[in-house]
Amino acid sequence: MSLLTALWVVPLAGAVACALSGRAARWTSLAFSLAALALSAAALRPVLASSGAGLALAGGAPGAFGVSYALAADGLSLSLVGLTAFLNLICVAASWDLDVSAGYWACFQALACALCGVFLARDLFLFYIFWEATLIPMFFIIGLWGSDNRRRAALKFFIFTFAGSIFMLLALIAVVVLHQRATGEWTWNLAALRGTDLGPAAPWIFLGLLVGFGVKVPMVPLHTWLPDAHTEAPAAGSVMLAGVMLKMGVYGILRVALPLAPTVAAAWMPLLTLLAAISAVYGALCAMAQTDLKRLVAYSSIAHLGFCLLGVFSGTAQGLAGAALLMINHGITTGALFLLVGFLYERAHKRGLSDFGGLAERAPRLAFFFGFSIMASIGLPGLNGFVGEFLCLSGIWQSSLPIFAVLGVIGVTLAAVYALPAYQAVFWAPEGPGSVSAKVRDLGARESGILWTLCALMLWIGLAPQPWLAALAPSLRGLVR
Amino acid sequence: MNPLMYPLAPQAALAAGVFGALGLGLLVRPKPVWGCVLAALAPLAALAALRVVPPGYWPPLVDVDAKSLGWQFVIYAGALPLAFCAPGDDVETALFLGATLGMGLLAVAGNLLMLFVGLEFMSLPAYLLVARSGEGPRGRRLEAAVKYFFAGALAGALFLFGMALYYAETGRLGPGAAALGTLGRAGVSLMAAAALFKIGAVPLHWWLPDVYEAAAPEVTGFLSTSMKAAATLFLVRVIQIAPDPMFGAILPWLGAGTALFGALLALRQERLQRLLAYSSLSHAGLLILGVGAWARLGGDPRALAALLLYLGAYALMSNGAFAFLAATGLETRSQLRGYAARSAGASAAFAVLLFALGGVPPTGGFLAKLLVFWQALRAGLAGPTALAAVASVVSLGYYLGMVRDMYFDAPQDTAVPRTVRAPSLVLLTCAIGVVLLGVAPLLRGLVGGLWP
Repeated sequence: MSLLTALWVVPLAGAVACALSGRAARWTSLAFSLAALALSAAALRPVLASSGAGLALAGGAPGAFGVSYALAADGLSLSLVGLTAFLNLICVAASWDLDVSAGYWACFQALACALCGVFLARDLFLFYIFWEATLIPMFFIIGLWGSDNRRRAALKFFIFTFAGSIFMLLALIAVVVLHQRATGEWTWNLAALRGTDLGPAAPWIFLGLLVGFGVKVPMVPLHTWLPDAHTEAPAAGSVMLAGVMLKMGVYGILRVALPLAPTVAAAWMPLLTLLAAISAVYGALCAMAQTDLKRLVAYSSIAHLGFCLLGVFSGTAQGLAGAALLMINHGITTGALFLLVGFLYERAHKRGLSDFGGLAERAPRLAFFFGFSIMASIGLPGLNGFVGEFLCLSGIWQSSLPIFAVLGVIGVTLAAVYALPAYQAVFWAPEGPGSVSAKVRDLGARESGILWTLCALMLWIGLAPQPWLAALAPSLRGLVR
Repeated sequence: MNPLMYPLAPQAALAAGVFGALGLGLLVRPKPVWGCVLAALAPLAALAALRVVPPGYWPPLVDVDAKSLGWQFVIYAGALPLAFCAPGDDVETALFLGATLGMGLLAVAGNLLMLFVGLEFMSLPAYLLVARSGEGPRGRRLEAAVKYFFAGALAGALFLFGMALYYAETGRLGPGAAALGTLGRAGVSLMAAAALFKIGAVPLHWWLPDVYEAAAPEVTGFLSTSMKAAATLFLVRVIQIAPDPMFGAILPWLGAGTALFGALLALRQERLQRLLAYSSLSHAGLLILGVGAWARLGGDPRALAALLLYLGAYALMSNGAFAFLAATGLETRSQLRGYAARSAGASAAFAVLLFALGGVPPTGGFLAKLLVFWQALRAGLAGPTALAAVASVVSLGYYLGMVRDMYFDAPQDTAVPRTVRAPSLVLLTCAIGVVLLGVAPLLRGLVGGLWP
């Protein structure tokens, strides 16, 4: 079994093993998550060390319907696979004390399997199967282990993303059909389909792809599923949702939409950039209005992914590199924030901004990590968030539409406007009459350990982003206009 | 041996089953249950007999081509669950096998006359089967059967009238007529309408929900799979004998409209069997879209292969879903609440089938939908395909809604009926089969990836 196959088969085996191991499922899950992380580190190490071209695996010969089992990995894919494996392990650690059935652990392993498959597949049929397969475990994670409104949120999440992706599927089929008309060959292989002349159908195909990927990102106005799903999911579920699943959308745009329809993307650049800028500003404005801490973090994700898209659509080397790095950064930072909100909720069963106050004295470690992550999230220089956002903004500044950089900067400012007062209200403001701060005990050793790891990564990438940028650059080279 | 008999070997096996069941009923007292089970397994013999059937054309009546063989496979295989689950008494066995025999005759029909014989042969026993089967109130079953009969009689009359018009203009009952005039086109339209009646295309579907709801679940499974496959082939044969450009223009929109209509109506159903009936209507819409694409592509065998795969996948999904109802005795959606906590195995299998019915990968339901969409886009049918895609999103509302009811709700206090063993086996087989079908195109590559 090659390394690339192992990257998604190991979590799949983990899912089966977890489902079968009953009460010992958390240990099984830990073992398989560690194995998956070790494998992805082994795959990532040469790429990081040599800023190299990555691994390629020729799939078998095309089988029925022109479908082939084609996997490949470059810096972008492997970084995201590494992020998946890393956050999955974090989730296992963070959920360790929960009283949940074996299905919980199996769902997280199955989710990791599908996510790794998405990032590795180079056959569009395979890609689509993995893409949709991510929905099933997440549907159950939200619906079975979420909070009060979980039934509705789970269904909304599934139907929204499915609705987007079925149009993406139609667009993919159209590309395959057009390619067959031109060459006489049925294939779903991405490399072969690249460069197909789409003719007059090109705008429709790009639109279909954009809807499919845009729902996932999410790009305003396709974002309405996100606040519900993120708020209702259990803490670890939100970490995977925001940390990795949103990146599928950006990844899809980078890997599939832009290469298949580059001319349409270039022609639509003003509109797309405008939508991205609106996402960045609108997400921030919505976050300002929230009174629920978890919802606030959820809306901040929309804003950050808006920055990501600004970088992507700028079409400049800096913007693309910034977007790719921001994907990783946002995964780590927002993952930490969702975990912290989850820990808070676990203790007090409240999430409202006005339910707390004075937590900095009662739970100093919690306050420290929360503050650290917030600083990373709003882009304080020296931490990881700054690097990605700066590159995205400088990319859009160099593009043909520098005006959107101004909008982007407004978004950056707004991030401080929504995040800092929230932090202040929970941790520094005097305790109000209805405050539940007394219930909050400080983080234990396990929880602190998890957050030390996350914060160390934030600092590391913030101070030394070069190896990551170098590893990501080769994957993006072909997309620069 | 009569040269005609060889190509009709599967049909002969089924006829033997019919006589066997009736004869046992006459000769043996008390009721010969095991004899009936043996006779009911005649579809297995028919499947085996398919291997010795030589493809070819025996004018004027019998035409055994590639699609005939493929369709017979799906029809007989789709009938197996009913044979396995609920053999019933001798009369019911004979009726069920008689209907299957009619479908088998329809599958080899080489001209319009034979098509009509097959149509009637498959329909008449089905009416009686609906009237006799099931445990619901007798009045409702009879009412449904009568409704079914009138709809079927109307379809038969339409077909005959259309055939007469067609014959009046062309002087033929087989293929090969030149371009049609007004009379001939009217005839072809009437014949196609008869086929659409049998498939259940909107607005010719009004009989379908009542019939599917009143019959026993296993019987409905049979009606929604084998019968639907036969009706689809019926439409294909009509178009093949008398091709006309209007089919390529009308059928895709009709199919997409039916898909959306069925999905929208299924959303608000409380009774499970009625819900699955509307869901079956929605799937029939996609089949009609597939036939439209095939007609537009000028009879491309690839488009027929897509249809056949759809029917095969649907045979697994629908038979499995109705087997779930038969196995658990559940009747309403509210009984479904929290069912996963009571019966984990049956719920998991049913959930797999529901995801498949919704077209979620990695299941056969996804593959089937993908292929039909693919052929439709090849035929340049972007509009109807997009409409069908919308329908398939709407359908998630109830498929996933049922998964949600089963898994995310607290169990109900009401007494839940027993679980029956034979349908449970069918349920399990169908669930496993539909997943295997979904990953089949990747299987070779996957195996190569795992063991290079």
